[in-house]
Amino acid sequence: MNADNRKGELVDLKSQLRQLAGSRQPGVEDIKRELYKKVISYMTIGIDVSSLFSEMVMCSATSDLVLKKMCYLYVGNYARGHPELALLTINFLQKDCHDDDPMIRGLALRSLCSLRVKNLVEYLVGPLRSGLKDGNGYVRTVAAMGVLKLYHIAPSQCTDNEFPAMLRALLLNDPDAQVVANCLCALQEIYAAEVNISPETALRDREHLLSKPVIYSLLNRIKDFTEWAQCLVLDMVSKYIPSDSDESFDMMNILEDRLQHTNSAVVLATIKVFLHLTISMADVHQQVYERIKAPLLTLVNSGSAEQTYAVLSHLHLLVLRAPALFSNDYKHFYCRYSDPTYVKKLKLEMLTAVANESNTYEIVTELSEYAANVDVAIARESIRAVGKIALQQYDVNAIVDRLLQFLEMEKDYVTAETLVLVKDLLRKYPQWSHDCIAVVGSVSSKAVTEPKAKAALIWMLGEYAYDMPDAPYILEGFVQNWTEENSAEVRLELLTAITKIFFKRPPESIKMLGAALSAGLADAHQDVHDRALLYYRLLQQGVEVAERVVNPAKQAVSVFADTQSSEIKDRIFDEFNSLSVVYQQPSYMFLDKEVRGPIELVEDTGLLPMGPTTTDDVLPSQLVDANDNDLLLGPSDKEDSIVAASNGSHAYNGPDLSGFDSLSAPQRSQSAAFPTPTPQVATTPAATSTSLLDFDDLLGLNTYDVSTPAPSSLKLKAKPSLDPQAFQRKWGQLAVASTVDHTLANVAALSTPQPLIRHMQANLVEVMASGGKAPTFKFFFYAQAADSPPTSGFFLVELIVNTSTASSQVKIKADDASLAPHFQELFLATLGSFGF
Amino acid sequence: MLEKHWMGHQVDRSICAWFWKQAHPSERQETIQVPTVVAAPTYYVLHIVREGITFLACAKTEMPPLLGIEFLGRVADVLTEYLGGLNEDLVKDNFVIIYQLLDEMMDHGFPLTTEPSILKEMILPANLVSRVISVVTGTSTTLSSTLPSTTSSSVPWRASGIKHAKNEVYFDLVEEMDATVNKDGFLARCEVYGEVLGSSRLSGMPDVSLTFTNPSILNDVSFHPCVRIQAWESNQKLSFVPPDGSFKLMSYRIKNLKNTPIYVRPQFSSGGGVVTVTVMVGIRANVGKPVDNITLQLVLPPSVASSDLTANHGSVLPNHTTKVTTWTIGRIPKDKAPCLSGKLQLEAGLERLREYPTFLVGFKIMGVALSGLRSDRVDINRVDYSAYRGFRAVTRAGNYEIRS
Repeated sequence: MNADNRKGELVDLKSQLRQLAGSRQPGVEDIKRELYKKVISYMTIGIDVSSLFSEMVMCSATSDLVLKKMCYLYVGNYARGHPELALLTINFLQKDCHDDDPMIRGLALRSLCSLRVKNLVEYLVGPLRSGLKDGNGYVRTVAAMGVLKLYHIAPSQCTDNEFPAMLRALLLNDPDAQVVANCLCALQEIYAAEVNISPETALRDREHLLSKPVIYSLLNRIKDFTEWAQCLVLDMVSKYIPSDSDESFDMMNILEDRLQHTNSAVVLATIKVFLHLTISMADVHQQVYERIKAPLLTLVNSGSAEQTYAVLSHLHLLVLRAPALFSNDYKHFYCRYSDPTYVKKLKLEMLTAVANESNTYEIVTELSEYAANVDVAIARESIRAVGKIALQQYDVNAIVDRLLQFLEMEKDYVTAETLVLVKDLLRKYPQWSHDCIAVVGSVSSKAVTEPKAKAALIWMLGEYAYDMPDAPYILEGFVQNWTEENSAEVRLELLTAITKIFFKRPPESIKMLGAALSAGLADAHQDVHDRALLYYRLLQQGVEVAERVVNPAKQAVSVFADTQSSEIKDRIFDEFNSLSVVYQQPSYMFLDKEVRGPIELVEDTGLLPMGPTTTDDVLPSQLVDANDNDLLLGPSDKEDSIVAASNGSHAYNGPDLSGFDSLSAPQRSQSAAFPTPTPQVATTPAATSTSLLDFDDLLGLNTYDVSTPAPSSLKLKAKPSLDPQAFQRKWGQLAVASTVDHTLANVAALSTPQPLIRHMQANLVEVMASGGKAPTFKFFFYAQAADSPPTSGFFLVELIVNTSTASSQVKIKADDASLAPHFQELFLATLGSFGF
Repeated sequence: MLEKHWMGHQVDRSICAWFWKQAHPSERQETIQVPTVVAAPTYYVLHIVREGITFLACAKTEMPPLLGIEFLGRVADVLTEYLGGLNEDLVKDNFVIIYQLLDEMMDHGFPLTTEPSILKEMILPANLVSRVISVVTGTSTTLSSTLPSTTSSSVPWRASGIKHAKNEVYFDLVEEMDATVNKDGFLARCEVYGEVLGSSRLSGMPDVSLTFTNPSILNDVSFHPCVRIQAWESNQKLSFVPPDGSFKLMSYRIKNLKNTPIYVRPQFSSGGGVVTVTVMVGIRANVGKPVDNITLQLVLPPSVASSDLTANHGSVLPNHTTKVTTWTIGRIPKDKAPCLSGKLQLEAGLERLREYPTFLVGFKIMGVALSGLRSDRVDINRVDYSAYRGFRAVTRAGNYEIRS
């Protein structure tokens, strides 16, 4: 249909609708219905039919429900873009809200709330209020959700009319479970958003939502809820912290049968609750694993392919955390022919993880079958998996046999992967060299084409030159083909191998060494050139000197670095039953920054960390040292430690997350070099804090005043960890240790809270929440004394800053009140150093 | 394409184009190549595919992935039930119904009612019956004027006041056997996944109980919300008020079966670029009923250039583009053992076969649950009529693969 045609049709439709508008003839409803259908179908395929708005509304005076529904759909689709027209609909929607039929009342209310036009909000309040009090559950269900919609359009209107309070009353008292569920859903979202506006009340409200009576009233009627509402309730319960272990057991007893629910979402949500309840009870935690194993294994193997993948990702997480518990279930992780590649990959990792003394043989047998798989990616992965199992050293003989088998297959990629594997094995277990070299000796160097495999082969030739009589001659072949060798990795390895072989068998290799060095010196690749030059100069110093440098006695590698740090795994575990498990990354690594929002009060630290978090083994507990390190470290290392210092708040402290700099690098941009704290920059705290300090460096003003607190007897912990619930609890329990009013000239320029937050974080004071608009800001900070146990030694601070009067009020609470004066001194000094 | 937005902001349709491009990187690939949950530049996109129709859901924030997947699955189920199938034309013809359904199934991104029996009370399906009714009665509504009473009932899956002229309830025990036989001919694993599917047309509020003679063999079970789990735990009895219509009562898993009902013995010998194949199929253990619909799919590796395979029983159908040869055997004859034989020609330059073909086996056994699970009795209480009760069992091959 071309544009003219379409226009004609629309005009046609318009006039037809207009004619029908006032008509009361019998049968008119059917004609209307056909016309409406046409309009909706245009809308569905993406044609703009908003020009018919007034006619559609005129025709909507009908008692026919389907017509009404179509009209609601149409209005809902276009009202937002045409607020002036939306006003036309208000009248009939309001009228329908008082219809005798609850279905119509509900539908009209839903449509009314879904208009989402700001200046029509006033018409919404009345129908919503009566909707919440409606005798029919369906209408109340719609109304509860309507409150949330109202909140999203006009938060103040919503709270001013006491709607949240009404929802709270319904939450506890409504007989209809669906109403309760919708209230819960709406309240959670409202409170989460509200914390940005009035943190204190919102925190209190949230706490109320997570209080024992509410949780128990929901838990006790969990079976009344629909499966979706159960998911919602379970998700909330997983945030609740029971007062003692008896309570935990009670809750688990109530929820145990949810594990047998047919809906996998319910099962997963229940598992999350169980895992969280028992996280600090090691032995019960193990029992929980045992209990949840069977349902998970069933879900993985029985449901739809889509479900399988999502559940498998979760199972994968659990298996990697506690492989021993799954060591008898390894057969479940066998790949099926029809599994997609991404599922097979997960399964291979799981098979690798659960391998132990008793099942290695069978697992390796199974993995070896995949090596002949048609899917090359999987064939490679499975050989790597065999390698990883071999590195765990369970059944050496069996594995060496497999390697022989792989090489016999005479497939390029199998041979290549096998060579890399053998190299790694030798680096860890030099004592196997005899067996392995026999295997490698049979490989024809011409069959090896992949750079990694070539490099592995060359390394072995250089390393075990004594055991392989023809090693020099094979290497010689490589040197002759120097110019055809595209991979710098291979050429580098070749230089080293030939130099090493020269130390062992000089007469056979001196000529080749000369050829290799001269080829290396002429090489276009910088590293190759440099290495050749280095060896050349070392050899000029004497062969013994060169040998001491190039080929010293080696120590076997004990552990190869894991690609994912355990902190990340912990973090993902914390986010069980979420997308992060499927992506195998904590949400802060993939969640859109816009969605995360600026660093305001964080809804849930488990889900939305303040900023990129990293910890660093070399990170000293005092920033003074960090500054010293800055002077010593190269630029990239420095960036690491600074990023580390801006460490966001999070519930877990784990060992080093290496490789973080690659993640933060793209966030740094030249334009951010000057600290203009616009909200956009503020969303990437790492970037700005880095650039802030860079900037200071430039001016030669490195944050020396930061070191002023150092003389104080109190030292702060580098990575304090406190979750919001714990913060709230402490804040409620502890008495105010000191209150100080204070003049702060340097805050006058503060236009957003972020710069101050970053400054405090750089000084080991973490932020729990912040809010407010200029001129008044409010912050909740916390810090922890160094050398204190994880749960105590905290200092909590409420800071109110008024930028117009340049004054601040500090309220400090401390676990250990005797340390409070020291902390106050330190805190004020840190505050005083802000902005310089 | 049909879209429905529940949140305030519109999701741009371009996300579909993006997804399509990811899912079908090349024209040739028919199956979707992306995991079920992916992160697009703007959204997290979950998808499922049913009957060639792709259901997409976009989310902007962190969420439980299974909630999304289960919900999409439920949407597909409900549509199938409403439209009497699922295909492009049906969706196009019934978009008004679909919009109505989606409207009731979710509000502001939160799933509401997905139980088909309840939805049916709110929105009448556009099947023949309702069309006839509308013609006869002259009312042209596809919507019942009363709201389902169940929204406040304690039995959310069942409406009160259901009446049937003929009362009957059927249960189907459907088992699927998953098995893998490895290169050495060992049964690497063998499990049974079973479901008890119910179909209930009973008046009033019946209380049904179902018992098995040997429930102890079940390894893991999960139930429809209607099943009282207490009763199951105390005396292994399924006790429930059934939903009206079709439903999945329970599903279970039975692990470590020792034997498969049929055997498949492949033999390959290769040399000089030619592979000689013989595959024998036969009954391994008598399960009491005949094994039907036996099929064997031979998935040949890409290095096979051509194949010439014949069988002494059944039909052989090679597909040269997918390299899958399907051998349809049906029932194993009494007088001879079915055998597939012939030669495979490898691509030029290859001496021997280096990748090993996989066989996918299909079969069906009527009247027997392979796991040995047997129903004991079905009782219907709290009603004043006697109803017909039926119970059937069937076993199918699920993922039954033989590696060679």
